[in-house]
Amino acid sequence: MVKPPSSDEQPAIDELLRRRAERVRRALAAPEEEALFMAAEFPVGEELYALPLESLRAAVPLRMVTPIPLSQPHVLGVLRFQGEIITALSLASLLGGRGWREDPAVLLVVETGAAARSGQSRLVALDCERIPKSSGYPRALVESARARSSGEVIELTLPGLRQVNLLDLGKLLRRHQGPRREAL
Amino acid sequence: MDPLLEQLLQGFVEEAQEIYQRVTGSLLALEKAAPEGTHFDDLARGLHTLKGSSATLGLEEISDLAHSMEDVILPRRGVQEPLPTEIADAVLRALDVWMAFLRAAEQHTALPDLAPSYALLEAHKPRPTDARSDAPAAVVPATAAPLVKDAPLAPRSDSPEAPALSPEPSPNEGESWRVSQRQVTALLREVERLREVRLRLEERKREVERALLPLERSQTFDPAAQRALLQGMRRAIAAEGEETADIVASLEEGLKSICTVPLRTVIEPLRRAVRDLCKQSGKLASLSVVGAELSLDRRVLEALRGPLVHLVRNAVDHGLELPHERESRGKHREGALVIRLEQQGNMLFVEVADDGRGLDVAAIKAEALRKGLGKEAELDLLPNGSLHQLIFRAGFSTRATDVSEVSGRGVGLDAVRAQIQELQGHVEVQSKPGQGARFLLSLPAELGSSPVLVVRCGEHQVGLPMVAVESSRAARVKELRIGRGRVQLPHRDELLELKDLGALLGLRKPELPVDGQALLIVQSEGERVVLSVDEVIGDKELVIRPLPAELRDLPAYQGAATMARGELVLIVRADFLVQSERTGASAALAPGSRRALVVDDSLTARALHRTALESSGYLVHTAASAAQALEQLRHAEYDVMVCDIGMEGMDGYQLTEEVRRRPETRALPIILVSARDQERDRQRGEAVGADGFLSKKECVAGRLLAEVDVVIARRRGAA
Repeated sequence: MVKPPSSDEQPAIDELLRRRAERVRRALAAPEEEALFMAAEFPVGEELYALPLESLRAAVPLRMVTPIPLSQPHVLGVLRFQGEIITALSLASLLGGRGWREDPAVLLVVETGAAARSGQSRLVALDCERIPKSSGYPRALVESARARSSGEVIELTLPGLRQVNLLDLGKLLRRHQGPRREAL
Repeated sequence: MDPLLEQLLQGFVEEAQEIYQRVTGSLLALEKAAPEGTHFDDLARGLHTLKGSSATLGLEEISDLAHSMEDVILPRRGVQEPLPTEIADAVLRALDVWMAFLRAAEQHTALPDLAPSYALLEAHKPRPTDARSDAPAAVVPATAAPLVKDAPLAPRSDSPEAPALSPEPSPNEGESWRVSQRQVTALLREVERLREVRLRLEERKREVERALLPLERSQTFDPAAQRALLQGMRRAIAAEGEETADIVASLEEGLKSICTVPLRTVIEPLRRAVRDLCKQSGKLASLSVVGAELSLDRRVLEALRGPLVHLVRNAVDHGLELPHERESRGKHREGALVIRLEQQGNMLFVEVADDGRGLDVAAIKAEALRKGLGKEAELDLLPNGSLHQLIFRAGFSTRATDVSEVSGRGVGLDAVRAQIQELQGHVEVQSKPGQGARFLLSLPAELGSSPVLVVRCGEHQVGLPMVAVESSRAARVKELRIGRGRVQLPHRDELLELKDLGALLGLRKPELPVDGQALLIVQSEGERVVLSVDEVIGDKELVIRPLPAELRDLPAYQGAATMARGELVLIVRADFLVQSERTGASAALAPGSRRALVVDDSLTARALHRTALESSGYLVHTAASAAQALEQLRHAEYDVMVCDIGMEGMDGYQLTEEVRRRPETRALPIILVSARDQERDRQRGEAVGADGFLSKKECVAGRLLAEVDVVIARRRGAA
């Protein structure tokens, strides 16, 4: 049978247990503090934009896009991706017309997270001046910026005062679901 | 529930649905006329199977209910009279509840109350005093014996005169193959992909042939080895192509046999609907079906079910008169509803006709007036055929003050048309007052490949459904009748309106055809137009797929199909071509509107310039090359041209020089746009006659529009 601790030993045991509990708490808190939000980062003109990395399905060359007469101006056309017909959209145009440095040569195929009856496709392709690079942002920073913003572009100020615009693609596309262009 | 039983239950629901339909059909037949053929046996066997199978699965409640239905029906064996309506009604209602209970049990939702059904059946059970001398006494199994699927009923020992039930299952049972629709649809999609692979292989073969050509002409080296190699490749690819074609054909054939179901699966439930509606409304109707023996693509049939139900319900509720009204008009008390189905090639024609009162043109006009669709004088001028088409508009109802449970809410016929259009078909209506109405649906019988005529219009290739193209001919300018706002062409004793495909698609200002240019006679819903196109590429068998969700509100397109090189071609709707009011020749700019021509070989650059210019009210035409821009400028006037410098072939500087050289475009304001922002480029632009210069970096919407305003104002000032 184990002998119970004496009253002299009790404070030391309490201290030991307190320290152990502190260590466990620190270990649990650490992944939260260091959690990263992974993003695909790319330039649009002079600004940096980003999309959640998990939404990026592929980056494909901007070719074999069939233009759609009578569609809205931000619609570049349609293309085949893995046997599916998807819409290619001009991101700069969706953002209201941005200048650009070079003609986009890449299409980013991204998941929109659309529900079946939302009027949006599950996948769309967005033009991009170059292949995006993956970056990790502090998740807490992203969450707090998201909480403050209700728009389709969430402005992030990253360590080193680097500015990145995180896109909420669902909101951006919903804003542009409008009447089609009428022909002459 | 035990997982095994759960699995069995799912299978039983599908089986029970088929039995439910057969039992319903038998009840309706027995209600209509004295028993003949196997209707009574089918009914008895069906009820017995429902009872036994549900008991086997532990669903005692509905097993007992089926038993109660037997109690009502079986005593009537041998009675040579039609089944009384109240008995048919009681059993049909109990059957509906039985099926609803089964579905609820499978889906784990709230179970319906069976007590009212028991009470209803109890009220119709024959009492001992009801026993008739010509009817044998009923012997009802006291308990629900476990029943193996399709097990035959034992002949009843106490009724030797009753026909013995066949120990063999009916011919259709056991032949059905239940497969998940999703699985089959996925397989069909793969077949469509394989078809595309086959097309691409053919293109590879042509590429090899093109590669062989210069080698054969080369003098610098002996091309024998290369040629042999390439020829081997060509043979191998050709063989692969043939093999792929074989696979596609056999896969498609096999899958079609799985996917094909008889039309009667959709038609038979309509008989019950007609009967119930008649009972509800006090009308009498008989439904005749011609062509129900056809079998069709399951997907087409599923999509056709809703429109058919709606048209038949409408025919009973709107079309047919009450029996006394019919008699007073010299018609038979019982109204006639006819569904005719006919397949011609890949097209299915469905007619739903009634001999009722016909469409009420006065009521249609009144509703059109109320909805502001036209002025009274305009509506009076419309032929009846055009007025009839108004009933397909959303929210249009001639029974706004007489809404019934069945119809009159203005919801339905527009949905019918939408569903049929979704299937790439169309619907039209014909009617004569007092004689009835006919709804004619035409749609593809299969959702596989369809014949498409591919044509060119500027840089765009588009497909037209071959079924809409009646004929083609070469244009002869002297035959054109050019009037105010329209151009017409005589064709087989008709004057048809001429439309320019490019203008209809908003690609350019309407152009008159030149001698020899291809003209197509296109029809839709009985209307014809002449369509001028730049070139006919040829006819192809293509798999048409719907456009992505965000583009489906574009009325111009049915969908898109994959061509040989993997590129997509848009398929234009025939009704868009025929009915579009943008007739080309009559098109005019809204007062104050301005036109801009954007020339850039980058799709995205064109999109960005368009976004900016259209936001400021410009009508924008685009060109992907200098040659195409010159062609556009030959036919139309623009207020400004925004042009990229770095294009392949003729660049922006050369295009500007050419535009300045031509007297008709000498004064056109031109803004050059460059990826590079260098002073020497600006100077060179100025030297060749450009009015403005912007780097692509500077092309934010406001900056571009400001520059456009500046160059236009400068040119006007100079003039």
